[in-house]
Amino acid sequence: MIEISNFSFTYRESSEPVVRDINLTIPDGAFVGITGAAGSGKSTLTYAMNGIIPHCYPGDFYGSVKVCGLDTVECDLTEISRHVGSVCQDIDSQMVSSIVEDEMLYGLENFGVSHEEIETRVSEALDAIGIADLRDRTIDSLSGGQKQKVALAAIVALRPDVLVLDEPTAELDPASSVAVYELLRRYAREHGTTVVIVEQKIALLSDYADLLVVIESGRIRFADCPENVLEHADELLSIGVNCPRSATLCHDMKAAGLYAGPICRNVEDAVGMAEQALGLASASPESSRTAADAFAMTGAQATADIAERTAEKGGAR
Amino acid sequence: MSAVRGFLEYVPGTSLLHRMNPVAKIFCALLISVACFCTSNLIFLACVLIFDFALAAHCKMTRQAMGLAKAVTIFSLILAVIQLLTNSTGIELVPLPWGYIGTGGVIGAVTIILRLVAAAVPLFLVMYVTKMTDLANSMVKVLHVPYKYAFTFTSTVHFIPVFMNDMAGIMEAQTARGVQFDQGSIVKKIRLMVPLCIPLLVSSVRKTNSAAIAAEVRGFNLRTRESGFKQYPFAARDFVSLVICVGILVVAILLGVFF
Ligand SMILES: Nc1ncnc2c1ncn2[C@@H]1O[C@H](COP(=O)(O)OP(=O)(O)O)[C@@H](O)[C@H]1O
Ligand SMILES: [Mg+2]
Repeated sequence: MIEISNFSFTYRESSEPVVRDINLTIPDGAFVGITGAAGSGKSTLTYAMNGIIPHCYPGDFYGSVKVCGLDTVECDLTEISRHVGSVCQDIDSQMVSSIVEDEMLYGLENFGVSHEEIETRVSEALDAIGIADLRDRTIDSLSGGQKQKVALAAIVALRPDVLVLDEPTAELDPASSVAVYELLRRYAREHGTTVVIVEQKIALLSDYADLLVVIESGRIRFADCPENVLEHADELLSIGVNCPRSATLCHDMKAAGLYAGPICRNVEDAVGMAEQALGLASASPESSRTAADAFAMTGAQATADIAERTAEKGGAR
Repeated sequence: MSAVRGFLEYVPGTSLLHRMNPVAKIFCALLISVACFCTSNLIFLACVLIFDFALAAHCKMTRQAMGLAKAVTIFSLILAVIQLLTNSTGIELVPLPWGYIGTGGVIGAVTIILRLVAAAVPLFLVMYVTKMTDLANSMVKVLHVPYKYAFTFTSTVHFIPVFMNDMAGIMEAQTARGVQFDQGSIVKKIRLMVPLCIPLLVSSVRKTNSAAIAAEVRGFNLRTRESGFKQYPFAARDFVSLVICVGILVVAILLGVFF
């Protein structure tokens, strides 16, 4: 469990708080996504959770942060690190070794994992992240995305209670990003790990997160399940967070008084919704017109996507 | 950029030199380097140089060794020229206002280049065939060097190419904005480069700082001599190599004393 109450932090170099009035409770085993515009304080919030603030960056710390029952101000960083595994944003400076295998060993050796167990931990973590083939490669020969996976595997091998990941898929292509999220979700469910993940791609977060936190200029603007957060498409856009197209569409339809159901997080949701609408259509020509109007009105790519997928499904039947 | 990337970067392989104990390797290299400074015997230095390149060929590093030899030669050329102009001994070859360039100066100049190249190649070879992590871990395990110092050393080596890449990147960005680094005198070039040192310094400090943090959250402070998973035992080949290198040093000292 992570409990952040009335937390504000000002770096010594900055004149005003970079994050402020943060109140956030994250239950054990939750999958939490944090998003927000660049410079809004996402990384700073993660530093608070993994103890880097206040232990490595000096500044003014108000409020309290408790992680796994430890007060991050009172405990030393090493103690916190036994429970919290972190992957920071700057991937290159995190590598302590020149070979993937040595990178994996580093934390395990330091935290005193018995030498008999180390081998299993290394190979399990490499398999879990799907990079067993990289084991003997030099770090310098890896792509940015591969380095991110190595950093992730090296942390997963430590089996922390909480994983704090700062933009771990920034250098991955969309397909690999989804793959990483799949792996993370499966791993976290198996081990009961709490995952806190900073991510620019809100569409990904809304598919995987139980709790979506949106930060605006250091303050929590929304903290709710993705469906509810996505209701606020306009506001999200105005603070620099791009919504998935399907969510924007639902939002627009609601605004036009054409739709009253839940927000669709992705195309799959929308296909379900459209099917429902079209199912109704055979019964009442009125609602059929409504759905057709809705599709015609927005003309967005998402509309085409949804219509296409629905047609595919209909054709298959 | 590619030239920078390869700098002191581990080259995987299975040669004898790759498999030797890291501590033995570095000691052997040091012994050979010291030997080169104990004598001015040209034949001896030439033999060491041949030995160096035989080793390089053995671990398929001839290309790197040649590049390094070239760089060291260029660097030592300055010293060699000074030697040439100031050491007016032996048979006069070219008269100078203050003396002459003689055979003594020529031999002195050749000795300097030969010595520096012969001494540098083994040290750099060891860097190329040894993973920094192994070098640090074995120093800690075998020589009981405190881990903090070993980590500082490996981080420094690790960051040299990173900083050089940063510098290249900054210069590229400046060139794209119209700064001309490839023209004008050295003084002008340096004057153009000085302002770039500040962003480089800022980014270096930030990077080393986040590297230290990353190590700390992975238990840096808990690491002891027993932590290392890999063992670095001395094998027969390590003892034999050490004996041979001590032998080379003894020969060099004897040559230095008696000839
Ligand atoms: N180590 C630091 N020292 C001083 N200021 C910092 C530091 N890290 C971040 N900041 C400042 O805090 C603000 C928020 O940064 P950050 O938390 O990295 O945002 P995000 O991750 O959302 O892009 C920025 O204005 C940044 O300049
Ligand atoms: Mg950030």
